[in-house]
Amino acid sequence: MTSQEPVVRMINVTKKIGSKTLIDKLNLEIPPGRVFGFLGPNGAGKTTTIRMMVGLMSISEGDIYIGQSSVKTDFEGAMRQIGAIVENPEMYKFLTGYQNLLHYARMTPGITRARIDEAVARVGLTNRIHEKVKTYSLGMRQRLGVAQAILHRPKLLVLDEPTNGLDPQGIRELRDYLQELAHQEGTTVFVSSHLLSEMELMCDTVAVIKQGRLVDVKDLRGSAEAGRRETAFEVDKPLEAAALAGSGTIDGSKLIVAVDREETADLNARLAAGGIRVYSITVLTRSLEDQFFEMTGRGGGQIG
Amino acid sequence: MGNFLLLLQNENMKIYRRIRTWVMLGLIVAIPALFAVLVKVSVTDDPGAWDMFSNITIIYMLVSVFASVIFADIVASEFGWGTIKLLLIRPWKRSKILLSKLLAGILFSLISTILFLAVDFILSFALFHGRSVNEYPADYTAFSYAMEQMLYQYVDLLVICVIAFMLSTLFRSSGISIGLSIFILFARNIFQALLNPELYPWAKYVLFTNMDLSQYMMGGGQAGMTMGFSITMLAVYVLVFLAISWVVFMKRDVAA
Ligand SMILES: Nc1ncnc2c1ncn2[C@@H]1O[C@H](COP(=O)(O)OP(=O)(O)O)[C@@H](O)[C@H]1O
Ligand SMILES: [Mg+2]
Repeated sequence: MTSQEPVVRMINVTKKIGSKTLIDKLNLEIPPGRVFGFLGPNGAGKTTTIRMMVGLMSISEGDIYIGQSSVKTDFEGAMRQIGAIVENPEMYKFLTGYQNLLHYARMTPGITRARIDEAVARVGLTNRIHEKVKTYSLGMRQRLGVAQAILHRPKLLVLDEPTNGLDPQGIRELRDYLQELAHQEGTTVFVSSHLLSEMELMCDTVAVIKQGRLVDVKDLRGSAEAGRRETAFEVDKPLEAAALAGSGTIDGSKLIVAVDREETADLNARLAAGGIRVYSITVLTRSLEDQFFEMTGRGGGQIG
Repeated sequence: MGNFLLLLQNENMKIYRRIRTWVMLGLIVAIPALFAVLVKVSVTDDPGAWDMFSNITIIYMLVSVFASVIFADIVASEFGWGTIKLLLIRPWKRSKILLSKLLAGILFSLISTILFLAVDFILSFALFHGRSVNEYPADYTAFSYAMEQMLYQYVDLLVICVIAFMLSTLFRSSGISIGLSIFILFARNIFQALLNPELYPWAKYVLFTNMDLSQYMMGGGQAGMTMGFSITMLAVYVLVFLAISWVVFMKRDVAA
């Protein structure tokens, strides 16, 4: 790892349209080499934030830095480091996939034809790239969208709800690809979604936004907190078990504690050694999902 | 720094990779040809080549319509397709992207004008060998008269196209901007006829009154208007239209 300087710094970012405040003093730093999720119910302001990051919308107050470049004062410098898909990847339908990529390649210096071919192969479109985009399926357009976003090997890849319209297979491929991009090539990936389940699969860290305000930033991997789950130990003597564990709550014959995998095994061994009989160990799936609903309010986490 | 010519190349690709463009260019050849052939078979005495040339020039209106469509569409279509988002997140200032579009439009207008002229010439001189009856003002030959008229018609086309370009950035809808541009293209003759500068002194400051520079070929204009005055007025209007286009395009939030 070279530097841990954040790739993106949002400082008091505010967006007002008329009297409406869509984004309210957002402060967020995105560290390098991660898949960073941006989670929030529909209408929370994810797209608005992303539009400001890529210069499609003006920033009412505050500023966004991509590396050292301010989106406000050094737009070209900032954009050289970003590849993005904002909402749907709309392409020129009367052009072939290749011509579309050529179009975007011409707009950033230093992209060779070999690099275009490489990006095409990377997203698995080699066989169809010389066909017109109007013949593409949504999944293929999505791939072409990713290809145009990674053409110039950006430091930061921004994807707004990239899983919309993808089938489970497509989602899995995208997830694997993003993980690979972040963990092997060091690209920072900023990906928004209103679906927690997807974020949990894809992201290392997730920032939660609700009604234009940042609610929380959570680490989903690596930290002790992340791996811990509420786990129920069904035992013959719950009180004694609680004393042995040193924490937890009692629910009937069950002791409920927050532990990760290793701690589960350790506690089980200690209980057994302490003469307590363990009948069952159940991981309660009260996890991020519930926490997300608590934070954002019900109804925001799902569509339909 | 990126190479601006590549932006222009992109805009050209988006114009000439569309079938629509080739249909337009095809019609610019086919309609004068049809007209010339109809004349050829329906008259007994061939008109003179230069007379025929100036008759065919009436069809130049078609080039104005097509060029207006290209200009009216060139910004709005990106909004309509949603491609504006991917276009504007490149390391290019919006002002330069808009400039590349304006230049690509002008290039199309030049290409279609040259094509039209070539077709007009070839048809007139290949098919018609009669005696010319048209008379020209002093100092003009048939050739210089025709060329000067073409030049003024091209200026007229460019002014309309700049209006179309402005409408395209303002409305972001190809339908509205194309419709309005074509409406202005046809309605401006009515305005021109109604707003007589001899009757209304302020009318000489109206854009439409100044668009036909060929009005000075026969001598002085109405109400003391001169060629220099009209050129100045046109320049001022064009600059204002372009300024509006640039300010709007650069400031606008893209939420397409
Ligand atoms: N151009 C606009 N003018 C006014 N309000 C807008 C505009 N665009 C979005 N909004 C509002 O801003 C809020 C955030 O929208 P958005 O950023 O699209 O949310 P998300 O992407 O998280 O679903 C919504 O309430 C939406 O109605
Ligand atoms: Mg959105």
